[in-house]
Amino acid sequence: MELVIALGMNGIVWGLIIALIALGLSIIFGLLDIINIAHGDFFMVGTVLAWFVLETTGNYWLAFFIVPVIGFAMGALIEYTVIQPIKNAAALSIVATFGLSIILQESVRGTFGAAPTRLVPPIETTVPLFGLEYEVYRLFAALVSIAAIVVFFGFLHRTKMGTWMRAVRFDPETATAMGIPARRVYIVTFAIGFAMAALGGVVAAPITTVDFQAGVDILPFCFMAVIIGGLGNLEGTVAAAVMLAFFEGIMASFFDPTIARIGSLCLMSIVLLIRPHGIFAGATR
Amino acid sequence: MLELNAVHAHYGKVHVLQGTSLKVADGEAVGLLGRNGVGKTTTLKSIMGLVPATGGNVVFDGTMLTQIPPHKIPGTGIGYVPQGRGIFPTLSVRENLEIGLPKAAAEETLAHVFERFPRLKERLRQAGGTLSGGEQQMLAIARCLVLKPRLLILDEPTEGIMPILVQDIRREIAAVNGAGVSLLLVEQNIKTALKLCSRIYIMEKGAVVHEARAEDLKNDRETLHRYLGVTV
Repeated sequence: MELVIALGMNGIVWGLIIALIALGLSIIFGLLDIINIAHGDFFMVGTVLAWFVLETTGNYWLAFFIVPVIGFAMGALIEYTVIQPIKNAAALSIVATFGLSIILQESVRGTFGAAPTRLVPPIETTVPLFGLEYEVYRLFAALVSIAAIVVFFGFLHRTKMGTWMRAVRFDPETATAMGIPARRVYIVTFAIGFAMAALGGVVAAPITTVDFQAGVDILPFCFMAVIIGGLGNLEGTVAAAVMLAFFEGIMASFFDPTIARIGSLCLMSIVLLIRPHGIFAGATR
Repeated sequence: MLELNAVHAHYGKVHVLQGTSLKVADGEAVGLLGRNGVGKTTTLKSIMGLVPATGGNVVFDGTMLTQIPPHKIPGTGIGYVPQGRGIFPTLSVRENLEIGLPKAAAEETLAHVFERFPRLKERLRQAGGTLSGGEQQMLAIARCLVLKPRLLILDEPTEGIMPILVQDIRREIAAVNGAGVSLLLVEQNIKTALKLCSRIYIMEKGAVVHEARAEDLKNDRETLHRYLGVTV
């Protein structure tokens, strides 16, 4: 029973981190119509940059501030150089972002190396929770993810740029005719998507392995969350990520992790059979 | 005020505008009529920079619109109400109203708009997509008015509106023009165009082929029939 509780809680923590990453994937898809195959690698870059900050400064906390900023800058650069030239060509975007994924992975392998590394969590204490000694860092990771998600939604609904993003997502032509610089909105959106995935990487690095292929495993999970949540439905993406990770965590306490992942895919298939546009379709905001 | 000089525009290889020329003077209300697919909407979009002109030029109060980025064109003093209204359905009425402003709208600006469209005041927090067609049209016009335009471009403002509301929309558009804002109006509803506008251009195959005073056109059955296929 303790194992079930522990894995269930780990699942919720992971779900929140995945939600943070998948939100980036969802806004990029919703606004730019880009199926971003490289999104998992944005997460991976975040974990590697977190490791780099720790190695060079000896202070892991700095990574929480520095890495999202670097991610934002990289995202803006990638949108300008890779995404903008293939705008309005969804099929090409898969090829282009797949190429980007390979470039990011091989760049990290060439500089960081191929061997996976584990980071010591910056908080090593545990607290008693539901009869378990639970790692405080995991609770911290959940809190940071929740805070980042809340800030993101606040940004989307309370700032001018957020309103512009929601307008451009629906009708870029009319938005332009209202004076909105759609081009700038595209760049900022992609940059925010990268920054969120990179922040997810910083949060997750101490509870996973830092590895040039870390994004490969994350990407399908993010896509599942986006699809189950209802394509382009941001609130749905968050809910689906947490539910899916919790479900997989519970499954993993009874079965092999591979079986648990197959279970998640089966769950997604069932959801799509019953609700082809996702659980939260129709509530898109 | 607004001048289109031999404007050409393409959709891919299709040559849609083939040298469109027209003028709108200060305070004037001008109608642009023509059958479906002759390039009326494309003319409006090329003024707004949404369909780039591949030849000719568009000048508004001395500013060459064809040489500035499309999102800067509203800032020159042109408001655009697109066909289908272009309301952002998931944004609230207030967000729709303030979308083109750099900051939240000043209360006096909103008060001025609500004087004209009181229904919008009651629905400020409501999502734009939940409004009726007529209310959406009012919102689309109000959204331009908060930007204090000197020229308002409207693409079929009465399309899809309940007949009972068409009168209201027509009256509000006339009031906007009466307040000194110039109008360029594309309409399928010829009665509306003839009532609101003092001068009419008729388009065919991507170019203006006829120009007349609305008063004269009303009685020119042959022209109306030849170019528009209607009898008034």
